Amino acid sequence: MASTETIGKKPLIDIVKYRFWWFALSTVLIIPGIVAMIYSSMIYPNHAPLKVGIDYTGGTILQYSVNKPITSNEITQTREKLEAKGIENPFLQIINVNPESAKNNQIKTIISVRTKFIGEKDTQALNNVSSVINAEYPNSQLIQVSSIGPTLGAELFKNALFALALASLGIVIYLTIRFQLDFAIAAILALSHDALFVVGCFSIFGLLFNVQIDGLFITAILTVIGFSVHDTIVVFDRIRENLRYYSKKMSFGEIVNVSINQTFVRSINTSMTTLITLIALYFFGGVTTRDFVLAMILGIAIGTYSSIFFASMAIDVWREYKAKK
Amino acid sequence: MKNKKLMFWAIVLIVAVCAGIIMVKPTKLGLDLVGGSRLVLEAQTTDTVAKITPEMMDSLRFAIENRVNKLGVAETVVQQTGDKRLLVEIPNVSDLSKAKEFLGETAALEFKKEGTPINGQPVWLSTGLSGKDLSKALLNTSQNGQWVVDLQFNDKGTRKFADLTQKLVGKPMAIFFNGEMQSAPVIREAIIGGNAQISGGDNGFQYEEAKKMVDLLNAGALPVPAKIIEENTVGPTLGADSIAKSKTAGIIGLGIVMLFMIAFYKLPGLIADIALICYSIILFALFKTIPVTLTLAGIAGFILSIGMAVDANILIFERTKEELKAGRTLFTAINAGFDRAFTSIFDSNMSTIITCIILYMLGTSVVKGFALTLALGVIVSMFSAITITKNIMHLVFGTGELKYPQLFGLKKEEIGKAFEVKETKREKAKFGVLD
Repeated sequence: MASTETIGKKPLIDIVKYRFWWFALSTVLIIPGIVAMIYSSMIYPNHAPLKVGIDYTGGTILQYSVNKPITSNEITQTREKLEAKGIENPFLQIINVNPESAKNNQIKTIISVRTKFIGEKDTQALNNVSSVINAEYPNSQLIQVSSIGPTLGAELFKNALFALALASLGIVIYLTIRFQLDFAIAAILALSHDALFVVGCFSIFGLLFNVQIDGLFITAILTVIGFSVHDTIVVFDRIRENLRYYSKKMSFGEIVNVSINQTFVRSINTSMTTLITLIALYFFGGVTTRDFVLAMILGIAIGTYSSIFFASMAIDVWREYKAKK
Repeated sequence: MKNKKLMFWAIVLIVAVCAGIIMVKPTKLGLDLVGGSRLVLEAQTTDTVAKITPEMMDSLRFAIENRVNKLGVAETVVQQTGDKRLLVEIPNVSDLSKAKEFLGETAALEFKKEGTPINGQPVWLSTGLSGKDLSKALLNTSQNGQWVVDLQFNDKGTRKFADLTQKLVGKPMAIFFNGEMQSAPVIREAIIGGNAQISGGDNGFQYEEAKKMVDLLNAGALPVPAKIIEENTVGPTLGADSIAKSKTAGIIGLGIVMLFMIAFYKLPGLIADIALICYSIILFALFKTIPVTLTLAGIAGFILSIGMAVDANILIFERTKEELKAGRTLFTAINAGFDRAFTSIFDSNMSTIITCIILYMLGTSVVKGFALTLALGVIVSMFSAITITKNIMHLVFGTGELKYPQLFGLKKEEIGKAFEVKETKREKAKFGVLD
């Protein structure tokens, strides 16, 4: 019998043995997010599980560059002045761009004002906001305007969910053809696990730090799903290969264990390199994509975890259950 | 070996051509990087227009194109998306609120006659003469130096106008622009020349007001009113900041990844780095040739695809190391590494490509940009890992025995002796059965 040692040639970590502990860990990782989502959908007026930005609710965001740092005190004052000018419920945010920069021509801070939808006819509202900001912060400049009509917002959200469902279906079909149906289902469970974790994290960020999700968020989730499946497939590919040669000599659980051990270094290294580029993008990249990159960082970390400790364990439990029957 | 050398020079040629393309061709940057305005207009149904037909959309697009061109900015885009929407992209606009105002305006010019007053309020009735009957509008000054708008009717309009003025001699005729009365002069005699003037009341027009009216009238009335339902406008300073930062982030990220590869995989790592540079050059040349408009989301997709390109190399090297440890000879170990890693690389990249295709079909234009760069990146990365890395690996390591396992980051005692040098059959290596 080809013992597991001859394949791995290195000390084997018995991951399968603790599989129910891994499931418990996954639960611990995901539950807080789910709680936050339920809580959010109860307290937010639009009953969304996440704090959604104008991409999904409609509205206008005006961003002004300011060449000095802004304190939260100043922001409160600005908000009051905007309300006095008749702007309903303005939502203000400070984005630090180059707070340390000594260069005068560089943008130091961006102040972002979110209001209800300002249509093209409503130049008065736009001028009102601009005049308040200009009075409060001399040398400020309107640098970005984003506006989404209220009906379009709902439509974008529906399309996003549709894209998500369709992408999952495409992956299931592909994996069923290349592997087997239960592998496909395990991969889908793993990607749901990852998506749920990231969405949960952003639900928590929304509650704690007022982070709003925008149109790019759905892109980030879809990328996370793509990566999660990418990673899961590499492990599954090894299980598939080892099954071909060792299925008579080893139990399914042993094969899963060997396969995970063989791909372990690769899994870690791949995540590491991808995370390096993403972390560089997070710290040195543009401010507008920062939340997007954060979602991907979380997703790729959890995606690597889930392909080893969730997807493979799920398929192991399922195959064992089937064998017993 | 001869084939390998030929292949090597083919790769060098491809990379050189791509580098040439990068130098010659300009990069197409998205509006979020150069600054500009992206608007989505939706045609609105009115009391008289119950359904938006494709013909209406065509004439709406034509009218909007006319107006956008009036702004005098190069490389504007007016495109129909969906049944009743138009996507308008205007780069390098300095005063954005102006451009926006200009697009949505309906430019409805109407000539009305007086009806019987109700409760003392004057009532104006439609005469059937409207902005459609104009051939052109001109900016002019009146005798007392005020700004006025001169109107010139087309043939049909001239006849209608003559007819109308004849009937209305001694009575006022009002000119309405976008539902607002501009003036209501009393007709003294029939006007047959086909010319009319809007004076703008007692105070006359402001220059801007008159100029805008002329531009709108000349650009043609919109067949149906259009509303801006989505806008994304980025000023040029923010765009420049984003470009500079993405460059820094890309260089830092890529630099650390390259160092990591050398530290962990030694000589093969260095080879992978070279392949990675070739990959970036080919991909970037591809972006410029297609051309792909680079947006912030697109750059994010590009950077993510670098991660996936590195993954392909890592998979191959891990596999090669395993094969070496199992005792395979250098040449077969490299081949087996590639062959056995290929199914993983192929299946995992296919799933990414499937996701990208769905995103491209269903996503908004921002998402589309991301999906396109990522998909192209994944395709090129497969080519680069399988062709470039493999070729250089074979050229560098040759067919002999691995004299220095350190080059692979392995220790001498880790190298297995299960196979003898004579075992070089490719098929056997591919399915590398150990027992």
